[in-house]
Amino acid sequence: MYSKCAVVRNPSGLHARPASEFVAMAKGFQSKISIRRPNDDHFLGNAKSIIIVLSMGVGQGGSVEILADGPDEQQAVEALTALIESGFGEL
Amino acid sequence: MKYTGTTGSAGIAIGKVYLYQRFQPEITMEPAGPPDCELLHYRTAQNAARKELEALRTRFSETGNSEQTAIFAAQLEILLDETIDEEIRNGISSGECSGAWVIHSVFEQYAAMFEGLDDPIIQERAADLRDICVRLLRCWADLPEQNLSALPEPVIIVAHDLLPSDTATLDRKNTLGILTETGGGTSHSAIIARAYEIPAVLGVSGIVSALKNRQEVILDAINGKVLTNFSLETRSTYESKRQEYLQQQAYTKQFIAREPVTPDNVRILVELNIASAAPQELEAVKYTDGAGLFRSEFLYMGRSAPPTEEEQFQAYRKVLMAYNHRPVILRTLDIGGDKPLACLDLPKEENPFLGERALRLCFRHPEIFHTQLRAALRASSFGQLWLMFPMVSSMEDLRRAKACLERAKEELRSERVPFREDLKTGMMIEVPSIALLADQAAKEADFASIGTNDLIQYLTAADRGNPAVSDYYQAYHPAVFRLIRYVARYFAAQGKPVGVCGEMGGNLLAATVLIGLGIRQLSVGAASVAAVKQMISSTSCEKAEELAKTVCGLSTAGEVYQYLREKVTLSHSFIGGS
Repeated sequence: MYSKCAVVRNPSGLHARPASEFVAMAKGFQSKISIRRPNDDHFLGNAKSIIIVLSMGVGQGGSVEILADGPDEQQAVEALTALIESGFGEL
Repeated sequence: MKYTGTTGSAGIAIGKVYLYQRFQPEITMEPAGPPDCELLHYRTAQNAARKELEALRTRFSETGNSEQTAIFAAQLEILLDETIDEEIRNGISSGECSGAWVIHSVFEQYAAMFEGLDDPIIQERAADLRDICVRLLRCWADLPEQNLSALPEPVIIVAHDLLPSDTATLDRKNTLGILTETGGGTSHSAIIARAYEIPAVLGVSGIVSALKNRQEVILDAINGKVLTNFSLETRSTYESKRQEYLQQQAYTKQFIAREPVTPDNVRILVELNIASAAPQELEAVKYTDGAGLFRSEFLYMGRSAPPTEEEQFQAYRKVLMAYNHRPVILRTLDIGGDKPLACLDLPKEENPFLGERALRLCFRHPEIFHTQLRAALRASSFGQLWLMFPMVSSMEDLRRAKACLERAKEELRSERVPFREDLKTGMMIEVPSIALLADQAAKEADFASIGTNDLIQYLTAADRGNPAVSDYYQAYHPAVFRLIRYVARYFAAQGKPVGVCGEMGGNLLAATVLIGLGIRQLSVGAASVAAVKQMISSTSCEKAEELAKTVCGLSTAGEVYQYLREKVTLSHSFIGGS
């Protein structure tokens, strides 16, 4: 298990196109990947699910925690958090 | 019989009814067979739905329709979503309910969740979820896709409501009009109707059951009315109204795309007044030089709490992006005792127009002002936003508002949130006291826009909402033109832009004089764009200056009006009233 937090920097948040890009990247990894608000013990969603990512409604400035479990867990978490921090090309 | 609704897209249509009923799933709770069979049934239905969506996506991407392609690509992503798929399979495996029941409840649960979120972009996706759900349930019932792609004859489509999948393949050639039970100006039906220039009356409750297939109706989408069982005489009256409307539309269209240049080669900026970020408001964008007045009040209306920073940011950004680097003048909150708001408890005032309104109200509620300024600043990274303060009556007002803006900038800098440092800040000129300080104001403001509606009211001391004094509210009062001349002169001397964003800009007789007074920016409603451009192309600045000079020397509004009627020749349908 490997996990890391990231701050959403792009103005439109983790919605629409950025959300789709995020999910598409997550699907490229073998590990089971989850997403939640940092240290939220009540909710842990599938990061490969667009419906989960959208329903979290993370706007600009919001943070998320990415958790992965599997053969490429570290690589997956690093790549996904880097994508979020990069601002999805909006910055 | 006469039914009333709201106009979704203007025009008149006379034709036969085509009742359109989308597939209505009949969902039984009892499973039809063991979970294994139901799971297989679900998989088959999901595959069929996937094929349909893939075909739609391909079809639109081949015809270069990127908006529709994106809609169906997103729907496809949701149909195959891992969480939804897992929840449906788990639900079916438990064996308690039928697959159709599980599908419906899973999609409905997420649709409701999306609707509950703050973000308008995500709220809109709830309609997509329901659209996918209906498609999946139809595939579950093994029924073919029913849509409006092949209508039997020219018809008026009558439906409860239209969803993106209903209209994606709409047979435009045979669609005379659209009539629905639900929906308003921002509904999907309205947007499609306007984009295709199909007359539409929406929100007519009970109309689907009141009408029969092939029955003839008149759709008066100018007044938002529907007529049935009418006389031949009424029919021919509406037939000529329809012709007249089409002619007028064709005439207007000739001018709308033209560049507004006077015969002596002066380029006048024609801008748009907009009151929301709705798509139909942004349609005329391509024909205008910017948004000369973007009213922000719409965000605050009809709700119990003021809009959040994020919500405002999204709305402003949407407009800025639509204008793609042409200026958008965002006017900060302009409300007062005359325009009550549910989300703000405003005390009743004796004279609301002279009371604590607009900027004054923002100073009273600094938290509301601060939130709006932050949202506007954040949005400024996405285009050319000009920020305008309404109801400035002294230089202190302007300085105080700019100080509030500085505070918001400072805060964003410390949070390292990006915004445009070179954002222009300006003011409305609508109070005579600041108009008479135009020389001072032009030094400290980057631009100004003259709000003629309020300026006339304050200058003539006549409440524009009070019919008893309507004769005293004189748009053609020579003092109004003299004051505008004064303002235009001092802003020009400082090289600062000054425009007019009130009704006067769309009143062709008066607008001619405005050009003569040195105004080079007219911001008008979408309906006036073509007419104003036509006026500009037929009036030289030289002639306008001569008219303006005379007008400023006349003594009464009546004389001014009379003089302009004699000297200005314009198409009769577009002349402003006295």
